[in-house]
Amino acid sequence: MQTMDTVEGKEPRLPDLFCWTDDGFRLKSAKCNDCGSYFFPGYHPQHRPGCKRENVEDVLLSPKGKLDTYTIQHYMCPPPFKTDHEIAPYGIGLVEFPEGIRIAGIIMETDLDSLELGMEMEVFDYPLYKDEDGNDVVTWAFRSVK
Amino acid sequence: MRDVYIIGTGEHPWGKFKDRNFVQLGEVAVAQALKDASTDWKDIGAIMSSILIYGGNAGHLSGQYIESMFGETGVPVVNVYNACATGSAAMRMAYNSIAAGETDTTLAIGVDFSPEGFLGAKSDDPRQDRDVIRWRMTGMPNPTYWALECRKRFEKYGDTPEDLADIKVLLSQFGVKNPNARYQKLFTKEGVLNSPMVCDPLRLFEICATSDGAAAVILTADPEKIKAAKNPVKIEATTMGSAIYGDPTIRISAVSAPAKAEAPMLSESYSASQQAYKKSGIGPEDVDVLELPDNSSWHYLQYLETCGFCGEGEAHKMLREGQTQVGGKVVVNPSGGFSSFGEAIGAQAIWQVVECSDQLRGRAGERQVPNCKVAMAQTYGLMGNSGTTIMTI
Repeated sequence: MQTMDTVEGKEPRLPDLFCWTDDGFRLKSAKCNDCGSYFFPGYHPQHRPGCKRENVEDVLLSPKGKLDTYTIQHYMCPPPFKTDHEIAPYGIGLVEFPEGIRIAGIIMETDLDSLELGMEMEVFDYPLYKDEDGNDVVTWAFRSVK
Repeated sequence: MRDVYIIGTGEHPWGKFKDRNFVQLGEVAVAQALKDASTDWKDIGAIMSSILIYGGNAGHLSGQYIESMFGETGVPVVNVYNACATGSAAMRMAYNSIAAGETDTTLAIGVDFSPEGFLGAKSDDPRQDRDVIRWRMTGMPNPTYWALECRKRFEKYGDTPEDLADIKVLLSQFGVKNPNARYQKLFTKEGVLNSPMVCDPLRLFEICATSDGAAAVILTADPEKIKAAKNPVKIEATTMGSAIYGDPTIRISAVSAPAKAEAPMLSESYSASQQAYKKSGIGPEDVDVLELPDNSSWHYLQYLETCGFCGEGEAHKMLREGQTQVGGKVVVNPSGGFSSFGEAIGAQAIWQVVECSDQLRGRAGERQVPNCKVAMAQTYGLMGNSGTTIMTI
């Protein structure tokens, strides 16, 4: 699978957390093949005690998972969180990926009243604001699978 | 190991004190504690001090600054940080130093000044500090984490918005009786349920504020000082815990958690409390007063279960039956809790010990719990930090 850290017109707000592939947008994780743990970010390992820590590999998570829990934020998170438009109220969810890790992220492009635990969610790139060159500065976000 | 007693405590009222500095607040708490302990400053053999993370260089060396206020004596001064369990670490070090015979009398001091509003990011390098990721990418202040867990409790156990509001009401009934509380106001259920929604299902009045405050404790194993003290409080155990692999809690500062639980929720707090029970031979059924970290109404429910005061999913039952009130199984947060005080990161764990100590010594005024013989202070800090102190009279 071909992976790209940036694509035309889009820049990650922070590096090494996700990428674009010929199969869509994906979160970057790392897996320890000794203890079976997945890490996110991949550079923040959380091994099982006693693990040999010798076989860690970079992996991409599946594009879809299930909503484990969520909250609706009724105010804007203060800086350094930043968007170029008002997004509150907005959802924040924990999505469980089939690999065995839950990831937190904002929930966009979804009717907040329709949120239910266990519903299927997909990860996508969400533009927070534009940089000086006119590129979208993006983060990862979740939306319900139609 | 020697038995260790609390012989003096002090507290600066909680609030916002923009025109003062942390040494001035600390001075009030330490002077009170010295007087209460009938102890001379020159008798203090070591100082264990909480770091103020928003206090710059001075804040990171808070113990030295406090020491210089009273006069430098050359004793060991250790400054420590363990998030909101920082004061637990200071207490534990003071206890261990005395129990091991290194010192006879030691001061544990915690002072903090909080920034306005949410406790925010302290660095901008995500490689070094994972905390940067949640602030820039997912926009998650601390209460968001609590709301995520609270929603799960609602689904799993049937906790309700009314339970969350009732907790605030109960805590405010204690808070109005505590002259050191920042908020001495009685809340009604309607008032709480009509307060703005912050992060559903948590409302504004169900989340604690951030405050400034100071607390100090003088511990000793000196037989003469113990004999001379007014109602010395015995420390049965003072422990700390870190998280256990496979803890399913979405931990503040993290943007991920394991999918499969292989450890209890809030495993750091489970660990600290279990260690304390084991060490002291005292169990939750023996505790008369529990000061738990009610950063939000969710914590109040969750901590009753985490520390074994009831089974999983049973906390709302305890609450609804009045088992957390005077006359119930255990009186929870007769100080008024963080709900009435607000958080002051480095100070709050020591403040909880002071409040427990006041209950045991029968000097808690209007909020005195009758016949209090065993008290427990439980703390919670982000990224796997917790402490438990069990005290008796």
